[in-house]
Amino acid sequence: MGRGQRFGTALSAFVAFVIGIITALSLLLGDNPALFGNQPGSDQLAGLLAVPADVLLRLVVIVLALSIVIGIANLLYVHVGRLSRGKLTSAVVLVSFGFTIYWYVARQGDASLLEAVQVPIESALAALLALSLLHGGSRVLSKRADIWGLLFVAVAVVVLLASLPLAELAPVQAWRDWLMRVPVGAGARALLLGIALGTVVTGLRALLGQDRSVRG
Amino acid sequence: MDQTTLQVYAVLFVFATVLLVYTARYFQRRGRQRPLRRMAAVERIGEWTNQSIEANRPLHLALGSTAVGEDRTAVALAEAEFFHHIIERADASDVSPIITTSAASSVPLGQDTVWRAWEGDAYLSRVQWYPPDIAYAAAVTAALKTDDPAAHVLAGGFGPELALMLDSADRRGQGSLAVSDRLEGQAVAYAMADECLIGEELFAAAGYATDDGRAQADAIVLDVWRALLIMGMTIVLMLEVAKRMPWLNWAVVLSVSAVLAVFGLIIYRRR
Repeated sequence: MGRGQRFGTALSAFVAFVIGIITALSLLLGDNPALFGNQPGSDQLAGLLAVPADVLLRLVVIVLALSIVIGIANLLYVHVGRLSRGKLTSAVVLVSFGFTIYWYVARQGDASLLEAVQVPIESALAALLALSLLHGGSRVLSKRADIWGLLFVAVAVVVLLASLPLAELAPVQAWRDWLMRVPVGAGARALLLGIALGTVVTGLRALLGQDRSVRG
Repeated sequence: MDQTTLQVYAVLFVFATVLLVYTARYFQRRGRQRPLRRMAAVERIGEWTNQSIEANRPLHLALGSTAVGEDRTAVALAEAEFFHHIIERADASDVSPIITTSAASSVPLGQDTVWRAWEGDAYLSRVQWYPPDIAYAAAVTAALKTDDPAAHVLAGGFGPELALMLDSADRRGQGSLAVSDRLEGQAVAYAMADECLIGEELFAAAGYATDDGRAQADAIVLDVWRALLIMGMTIVLMLEVAKRMPWLNWAVVLSVSAVLAVFGLIIYRRR
């Protein structure tokens, strides 16, 4: 790594650190006059401290709104490249893209093409998804031949049975309700807690300018 | 709990995490490494990267809908770090891995990851964006048919549409590792992927895919926080139960805790 590159890395990490700390402090201390003892002028101070985070978050929203352009440019770039290598399906993507834009502009905002093509295709895929899920569920025991795989299948069967509109299955429906309320709720919370912990550790790495993406 | 108390707890939590991270890194640097717990799913990655190198077939790494700049930015950064180490391992292959995403703001992150980890060129077309949800799953399964990846690592924001990609991978005999930060996607990953990670393992995975002490230290910090959280919840649960049992006193609680601790230690040692 050359001297210039090292300087660039250090500068990038420093900028990330400063911006990260300012935003974090602004979010933690801003907009809460009680933190300053509700003295005269604490309203203004709390409001002032909230400004940096507000400005930076607005900037992020603007950049995110523009990122769709990056996505479309990427889609076109990838498919033009594939077309030049003789992949004809990419030609379908590019022609559809051009035709949809032409239709939308020529018909002054008419989205009927989208509704007539996109929506039925997505609905058909959603139906296919149900079959894929069923197929995948049926193969759980071949992939995970243990007590947890068995439990997974048993719970899936109870939930599927309980969704049948039969009065005889009322006890199964009660089981399903309990399953969804207690074990599923607990599992979801455990998953979210784990993700929250991971988010804090990863966020700190970025905040301290040590994440690879902010090291220039 | 009022806002001020919450803010104070948040600051304390952040400082405690900083302290833990630097303590773990200090011990890692000094060579007093605590072995990481086993994560079978990540062990398969070595096998897949070898396949990729030997057969000159790319690896498919999917970020899903995880976007930079939204509330799941940290998830995107963790995935990028994980993918960085996978790409470094597959670097001897002639074909660079493919990263797909359905979040346009993650395209630069993906390109940056390939650019840093991959020695070869042509990284711009190796990151591919497709519209989200079902359209993403359909486009990825169709587009990757021609690239014929050796294996898929699907780590990020996925819903039930993950089933389409995993089903397609399974039919083509391609290996798959999946993890999602959404509950529906996680269930599908568990049922259909060859290997799956759960919850915070997504953030720890980078530490398992590399020998870098800092990444491993971060994985250890996650384990420590998790253990503390479980202990805290168990204590709260025991106190709640104790309130409903008038005969319960501190002597009984301490005796039972001591017996459980001894049993736990014996089981841990035998492992």
